[in-house]
Amino acid sequence: MNTQEKHASCASTGSVTASPVLDIRGLRLRLPRTARPVLDGVDLTVAAGETVALVGESGSGKTLTSRSVLRLLPPGAGTEGAVRVAGEDVLTMSAARLRALRTGTAAMIFQDPRAAINPLRRIGDFLTESLRLNTGTSAEEAERRAGELLVAVGLAPAVMRQYPGQLSGGMLQRVMIAAALMGDPALLLADEATTALDVTTQAEVVALLGDLRDRFGTGLLFVTHDLGLAATISDRVYVMYAGRIVEAGPADALFARPRHPYTAALLAATPRLDAPQGRLNAIDGQPPDLKAELTGCPFAPRCVHATGICTEQAPEDRAVTAAPDGREHRVACHHSDRVTGSADHG
Amino acid sequence: MAETVLHVNGVHRRYGSVQAVDDVSFSLARGGSLGIVGESGSGKTTTARIVVGLESADSGQIRVRGTGRTGRVRGRVARLARAREVQMVFQDPFLSLDPRVGVEAALRETLRLHFPGADHARRIAELLDQVGLGTRTRDALPRQLSGGQRQRVAIARALAVEPAILVLDEAVAALDVSVQAQILNLLADIRAQTGVGYLFITHDLGVVRCVTDDVIVMRQGRIVEAGSTEQVLSAPQHPYTRLLLESVPRPGWDPHAIAAARRALHHTASPSDSTNGQSTVHN
Amino acid sequence: MSVAVLRRPGLSRLRTPHAPLYLLCLAFVTVVVLAALLAPWISPADPNAVDLGNALAGPSAAHPFGVDSSGRDTLARLVTGARTSLLGPLGVVAFSTLAGVAIGTTAAWRGGWLDSVLSRSTELVFAFPGMLLAILIVAVYGEGLTAPVIALAVAYLPYVSRLTRSLVLAERQRPYVNAYVVQGHSAPQICLRHVLPNVGPVVLAQSTINFGYALIDLAGLSFLGLGVPALTPDWGRMVLDGQTAVQRGYPLSAIWPCVAIVLTVVAFNVVGERWADRVARRDR
Repeated sequence: MNTQEKHASCASTGSVTASPVLDIRGLRLRLPRTARPVLDGVDLTVAAGETVALVGESGSGKTLTSRSVLRLLPPGAGTEGAVRVAGEDVLTMSAARLRALRTGTAAMIFQDPRAAINPLRRIGDFLTESLRLNTGTSAEEAERRAGELLVAVGLAPAVMRQYPGQLSGGMLQRVMIAAALMGDPALLLADEATTALDVTTQAEVVALLGDLRDRFGTGLLFVTHDLGLAATISDRVYVMYAGRIVEAGPADALFARPRHPYTAALLAATPRLDAPQGRLNAIDGQPPDLKAELTGCPFAPRCVHATGICTEQAPEDRAVTAAPDGREHRVACHHSDRVTGSADHG
Repeated sequence: MAETVLHVNGVHRRYGSVQAVDDVSFSLARGGSLGIVGESGSGKTTTARIVVGLESADSGQIRVRGTGRTGRVRGRVARLARAREVQMVFQDPFLSLDPRVGVEAALRETLRLHFPGADHARRIAELLDQVGLGTRTRDALPRQLSGGQRQRVAIARALAVEPAILVLDEAVAALDVSVQAQILNLLADIRAQTGVGYLFITHDLGVVRCVTDDVIVMRQGRIVEAGSTEQVLSAPQHPYTRLLLESVPRPGWDPHAIAAARRALHHTASPSDSTNGQSTVHN
Repeated sequence: MSVAVLRRPGLSRLRTPHAPLYLLCLAFVTVVVLAALLAPWISPADPNAVDLGNALAGPSAAHPFGVDSSGRDTLARLVTGARTSLLGPLGVVAFSTLAGVAIGTTAAWRGGWLDSVLSRSTELVFAFPGMLLAILIVAVYGEGLTAPVIALAVAYLPYVSRLTRSLVLAERQRPYVNAYVVQGHSAPQICLRHVLPNVGPVVLAQSTINFGYALIDLAGLSFLGLGVPALTPDWGRMVLDGQTAVQRGYPLSAIWPCVAIVLTVVAFNVVGERWADRVARRDR
């Protein structure tokens, strides 16, 4: 519990009131040959020094959301809304500003470190390349910084002379994190950054990210499908379904008492070590197809609480409770009062 | 329940300098479910592939219903007999089906091979029903199906052979949580209905708890702990099992303590073992 | 693992993302193939009718492409010549594809010593220039289409077998192939029913590209007077026959078959490359 408390206090004292490092407002993203927007009015903020988890299943739009922060959009994508990083709108900025953003202000850690690192270059080249090419930092200076950061992520500076093939997956992900920190970012985007790792390695990487956040005050957007992980590492959680944020709130409140049927159902469907054995409460059906128009609540066809209004009218997102420190718990559901599911099966 | 359907005894397998599987022995009761848990490099997948026959063991015996499975197969009859002993469901449902072959054609192909002359149409309907696929998916190609649906097809195809044992190699790892729960429930139903035995390879302790009776924990090719799932998960004896259990994120989780425990275990267990890529070579 | 179709440098630069070139080339290929198929019916004159009095006449209403030094109608010879000029490469491609796929698949699937023997021996052929091999075989067996076709088929075989081998190796790693093995299907069954249909489009795209090269090689042999017999209408042979006329200041009867060869080769290449690209995209 101690780490959690520390994180929570850090987030609430420091920066929730200050302007957030990431502020997504009404982001709507359309792709060619789809009937509905893949992202439909996404609102999300990350404050400095805050860890925010974005949870969703494949196709929910969580990865697109995080990629849109760096304007890494699929070809033919049409956007509405604003994605502000440190106050600047990413969607409208010039190419030069965008490059500065990608090399400096915001950095991304990808899921598969082995696929994201050129196997033929030494780790040192990989780490220093972007800094040397884009900011004109001298080679010695870049190398010095790379060495420092390798130590910060728990690796020996000698790793710089090694090739990616000589490192294990966990070590490579540390290298990726060091590389992401090279530009001294205000915002770190971790897209399923621990999914490809073993559980014990995952714990190490998570511990490392927490340390680095405390040390550098970086805002962290952690994109994951793993609810358990999201609950334990983040201050606030956003739950996405079919391109919409269906529930958002402080991690502990959201998992202790989910207010959206989807969140509750996901918690109940996760095989856990502390739940009674036996059948899982699976969610029947499939997420909605991108080729079909959506009216009403996207989760209605799979929802046990659904009534007539759910299929006709999309629920507005509203605050259910305000946490003492001012962090709201918001939910987009017509029947959020009926949702009783908690982290326990039931 | 006492009848043993699968017997694995002293299996070894070495790739170059890496002992991928080191003296692994276990047995599976008829209609039972055994989990093999471990991280990448633990040898769990190699063990599964040896049991299925996709890899061969350097030494050791594998017996299914008393018949040995080591050595090369010669001839059609022997090949089909082996296929009816053990079937497998693979991890990635996007790669384990031929992209050109539709659902019904895939099942028909298997049935024609193993049960020529039987009423295939009826059996296909039965199998699709058993795995919870509607008749609408009959003509669909794999790319028109979702991950969960494809995994259902893969399960139906394995069941079509009517095997004694089904090896599930991380069969739900690539699926979303909501779909994963559907498939896990389906697997529990199928075992209850058909009495097929499961060898369940996974890294996910929650999943192991959900679908297995017994479990073995593997590390660096060796079995470090074995026992009933309930017992191993509630009162782990080996420090590595404890580390695995503590690594699962849950409220009050302390990643720093786990990281420290992992390093400590690493130093005590194998001083000669270097981290340099070894753990990622074979799995 | 991705495998690229082998391309000789040069022509690959003609690759273009724009559809008009591809459509134009596809249309040209169709026209040439139709001309070859329907030659006896659409040929405007007897391609072998000699009219020495009219030798080397320029284009006229009766002979729109002019006549050659023996007074034969150039258009008629072009149309009829399309038959031998396309039939030869077709034989080369058919034989090299069939044998190459068989060898490549066997090598990849069986692996071990058989792979080494098959791969090394086909690569030996790389060391021999195809033309030289063809000249050798023609020198031994004499004139005729069969000898150069077989020689070139052997020369082109390694391109196909090497590509097939790498494709099958990659395909073999896929879990669906493992699944069929576990299901008890025999290796030939899996190869024929599942692996080959999946790698087929890439191999066929390579073969289409090979077709163009084979055409130019065979035309080259004909030009050297090896290969097709003297009187058979053939584009390469026509260039040889027109050569003397060029020295007499009348290049037309040599230029037309040259143009036909170049355009056909380019068209086949563009079509083949396009198919290869399309297959590569579909795989993604």
